[in-house]
Amino acid sequence: MTPQIALPATAGATRWAWRGSRALKGVAGVLLLLLAWQVSVPLVGMSAYFYPAPADVVTAAVDLVRKGILPVYLADSLGRYLTGLTIGAGLGIALGVFIGLNRTVALALSPLLKFMFAIVEVAWIPIFVVWFGYGIRTIVLALIYVVFFPVLYNTLLGVRTAPQALVNAVRSLGAGPLQVIRLVILPSALPGMITGLRVGAGFAFRGLVFAEMVAAKTGIGYLIFEGAQSQQTARTIVGMIVMGLLWLAIDQFYLRPIERATIQRWGLTVDAEQRT
Amino acid sequence: MNLQRRELGALPFLAIIAAWWLLPRLVQYPAYMLPSIGTVVDFARESLLDGSLLRNVLASLARLAVGAAIGLALAIPLGIAIALNRHVADIFRPALSFLQAIAGIAWVPLTIIWFGIGNGSVIFVIANTIFFASIYNTVIGVQSIPLALHRAVRSHGGRGLALLTNLILPGALVQILLGIRTSMAYGWRALVASEMIAGSNGLGYMTMEAVQWQRTEVIILGMIVIGVLWMLMDRAVFTVIERRTVERWGLMQR
Repeated sequence: MTPQIALPATAGATRWAWRGSRALKGVAGVLLLLLAWQVSVPLVGMSAYFYPAPADVVTAAVDLVRKGILPVYLADSLGRYLTGLTIGAGLGIALGVFIGLNRTVALALSPLLKFMFAIVEVAWIPIFVVWFGYGIRTIVLALIYVVFFPVLYNTLLGVRTAPQALVNAVRSLGAGPLQVIRLVILPSALPGMITGLRVGAGFAFRGLVFAEMVAAKTGIGYLIFEGAQSQQTARTIVGMIVMGLLWLAIDQFYLRPIERATIQRWGLTVDAEQRT
Repeated sequence: MNLQRRELGALPFLAIIAAWWLLPRLVQYPAYMLPSIGTVVDFARESLLDGSLLRNVLASLARLAVGAAIGLALAIPLGIAIALNRHVADIFRPALSFLQAIAGIAWVPLTIIWFGIGNGSVIFVIANTIFFASIYNTVIGVQSIPLALHRAVRSHGGRGLALLTNLILPGALVQILLGIRTSMAYGWRALVASEMIAGSNGLGYMTMEAVQWQRTEVIILGMIVIGVLWMLMDRAVFTVIERRTVERWGLMQR
């Protein structure tokens, strides 16, 4: 934990003000980026097919929303993503705890797990396509795969590094195996699980977009890919922007709450924002 | 102990090979779904002998190296420059984190329009992936250097280059290396993925192309090579970098 400096009573208010001004600066940065894009359009001087202007992209976005395409695609992508993430993480945690409890099994399996994680999910997509065809099964499987291995591996590490002294202490107080798991093993494996989920979630998000480019007929990845294929480049950029916003939303409303509810509450780590 | 550990670790691989060998003897399925071990080994030998595997591997690695070099050469100096001023850093951080979220494979359709199929597209995507992942980490690394250290160096007359080499670089190094490592993991995926869509050779192209002809032995060999290459890179390059820098300077305990 970082040492805390005693703050005067008004610290709360100034911190909010400081946060507020930081957010304003961030907005200014985004606006600056948009301005640079707008200014660059006449400098590049190419057609909207080659280099669309912000106005083209706004028109395309309005069109996509009005036709009802964007909401459907967004819901499809989010559904696939959360399904894959939840199943992959659930399997990874369950198996990680199960395997981690046995030292020999854990030692035997970790090289294989490392190797499987090294065969990146992207490389599995061709064989998934051969096995399951183009469609949702291929996409969700690729997502489960990419989340499963880091969660499993990190859970395993967490279980293995649970302090033996605590296990002994709880045992000597009369705890059974299940209580040892609940009281010692799971809490000490928690940071590992969340780390694994973080790693997997980031890769899985790119994996989702790629899988949708290759194997879907809806979704944000498909929008990005199909826009360029059908010479509606502005749609591709709408897709990219929605993708970025979607990731920020997932980070803010899904991953961070999980971290807050688990690791931070138990005081196991401090997030980067607080450290600076 | 170590030997025992190694033998233990080999067991699951042997079990998989045994299952792979047994499966066609137990269950009926079309041969293209899962080729026999022999078919994969034959194809491996064939593609090694005619040099096509090596050409694909080298093409992929060369793109990764060029893309990473461009991305890092731009990201680290620019990241440091941005982070030196707290206000500038605050202005750019959200935009950078947004761009990091869309970095990589999502750019492929655009790069195909801009550069066509081939090297240009793939290298742009890798450079872009590595640039955004490492610039964000560089900014955070420099920003997380304690203000007290800043003041200490300054009050001893540290300015300009001295400030950079004595404070900024060592202080931000852990985070920068972490960023490089993460960005390489993303870059590697982006490489394989963009070769599948926009490549004309390379490992990604090789495996995706094989889908059309249902040549699963090509896909499986490609997957094994992709896995082995990544493990080698991760172990050889990054572990050495970390040992040479972070551990030697005592910035991180292991």
